[in-house]
Amino acid sequence: MEFRWGVRNLRRHPFRTALSIAGIAVASAMLLDMVMLRGGLEASFADLLLVRGYQIRVTPKGTLPLDSEATLPDATGLVATIRSDPGVAGVAPLVATSIYGRRVAGGDSLVTLFGYGIDPRDQGLYQLLRGADLAADDSAGVLLSEASATALGAAIGDTVTLLGVLDPQMAAPAMERRLVVRGVVQWLYDYREQPSVGTVVPLMQRLARTEREDRVSVLLVKAKSDADVEPVVERLRTRLGGAEVNGVADLVRHFQDRMVYFRQLATILGSVSLLVTVLLIGTLLTITVNERLGEIATLRAIGVSRASIVKEVLVEGTALTVVGCALGVALGLVTARYLDEILTSFPGLPATFSFFVPRTPNVVTAILVTLLTGALAGLYPAWLAARAPIAPTLRAEAT
Amino acid sequence: MTVLTGRGLEKTYKLESQTVHALRGVDVDVAAGDYVAIVGPSGCGKSTLLQLLGGIDTPSAGRIELLGTRLDTLDDRALTRLRLTKLGFVFQRFHLLPVLNATENVELPMAEAGVAPAERRRRALELLEYVGLRARARHRATQLSGGEMQRVAIARALANRPAVILADEPTGELDAATGREILNLFRRLNGEGTTLVVVTHDDRLAGEAGRVIRMLDGRIEG
Repeated sequence: MEFRWGVRNLRRHPFRTALSIAGIAVASAMLLDMVMLRGGLEASFADLLLVRGYQIRVTPKGTLPLDSEATLPDATGLVATIRSDPGVAGVAPLVATSIYGRRVAGGDSLVTLFGYGIDPRDQGLYQLLRGADLAADDSAGVLLSEASATALGAAIGDTVTLLGVLDPQMAAPAMERRLVVRGVVQWLYDYREQPSVGTVVPLMQRLARTEREDRVSVLLVKAKSDADVEPVVERLRTRLGGAEVNGVADLVRHFQDRMVYFRQLATILGSVSLLVTVLLIGTLLTITVNERLGEIATLRAIGVSRASIVKEVLVEGTALTVVGCALGVALGLVTARYLDEILTSFPGLPATFSFFVPRTPNVVTAILVTLLTGALAGLYPAWLAARAPIAPTLRAEAT
Repeated sequence: MTVLTGRGLEKTYKLESQTVHALRGVDVDVAAGDYVAIVGPSGCGKSTLLQLLGGIDTPSAGRIELLGTRLDTLDDRALTRLRLTKLGFVFQRFHLLPVLNATENVELPMAEAGVAPAERRRRALELLEYVGLRARARHRATQLSGGEMQRVAIARALANRPAVILADEPTGELDAATGREILNLFRRLNGEGTTLVVVTHDDRLAGEAGRVIRMLDGRIEG
């Protein structure tokens, strides 16, 4: 009976109820977005690192992957050392450098490109979209991203010209190579519209002028199982004293330190949205209860218990919250997608990265917190209704 | 058999800075099957007396017994339960829940008393039949006329088979013809054994009562 009564009470003032529901929907959408932002950054980062199954990164001492232009010397020796570890399933060397390209259509101006040197047999950096992958010793082929294919005006099968880093003395590139486009790939850590190209490691080392010392930027290491990751990290730290060895969990921790302001922002905005929900529901129900004090006093007079009055007011609060929350989830998911589009278009962020990750636990957490908040927000008006003095209220009603 | 007793009832309350003596030592006895009308000018304390007898207000002095139970010994929960199961209230302004229909309004006290849904639905329809509103069972309170609302309120008051019906100006908001319907209904109820205590300004309603208590300035005159 309290349920029917409570829900129908909300229909007495449909416009006011609709406004409150809209307010709760906006507040819960914001809460959902903030919950997604708070946990999503780390989850998305971890997913991104693990997308090809490489759980460990080896970088120059004191750096994080692609954090600086520092490189590791003697890549071949390092790869051999790491491969000799019994817990290691694979090692993917990576050279990252700035190079230049010449448009297929010709012209004097050069296109600045981001160059990756990879080992096609063991790589954790890209996914082939079309065409063919490079062969292990393919020093005549190149892989392009969509953006670099557009920038160079190249298609699969075309020949493109890549120019190495400029010699500061000569103000001219140290090396120029004509390469055949084998395929178009998605580079997993590229920001949006990043014009990247990939060749086998030795060729990119020559373009980067690092071939003499056999330098690479990062080594991606795949452990045989997740249980092997920590022991492998510990062993590699001992064996590779001059390098930084981090598991994904370590990198996520570093990432958390850097993104702490995002988490604080999410916490503050999430708390504000909860406060707005409490105020909206509390205000609406307090107004409603005050309008109906005579009715409530009558019910108390005919023997309706305080508990039933409390239940009825809480039903109203919960009904408002449920409807508002349902709309809020839909609104939150839509706005999260929109906000994600904006934020991931910032330079320097991988395009595959997400700020707002709609994982079930996040959505469930946001819903439960909103529902609980809604129910709690009804407590004061419910208490007000239950404590209304019967005789004075009826007397006031009669005059 | 005495159903309701009030002894030495006094009620004072503060109105702004003044102390109002609403009742100044009132004794009342209501026997089973009585039809008692409490009359008097506005402000004489008759509604206050009814509220004290109904356990919705507490006397400043004196005691009230309902079916042998002293109301001042009960906590709020027990007193609420007593009002629910032993008393029926009819108000001047009906006070039906506008969002519920006639049947649901009558069902409300039974739902509160824990009567099973099917049984309370059956009894609600039976009571609406009794007050002549079976055809209006599914109408919301707001879709009913004043007389119809008061008849639904009477059906609601009868829902848990109370020992006494307490009515405060039940015809006060009704025109003469509609008031007569309520009058007839009360006569029928009392004829079938229902105990009634009615506060009224309506001479016709008072004339129907078996006993009339006249009040003036918080005291019983006769």
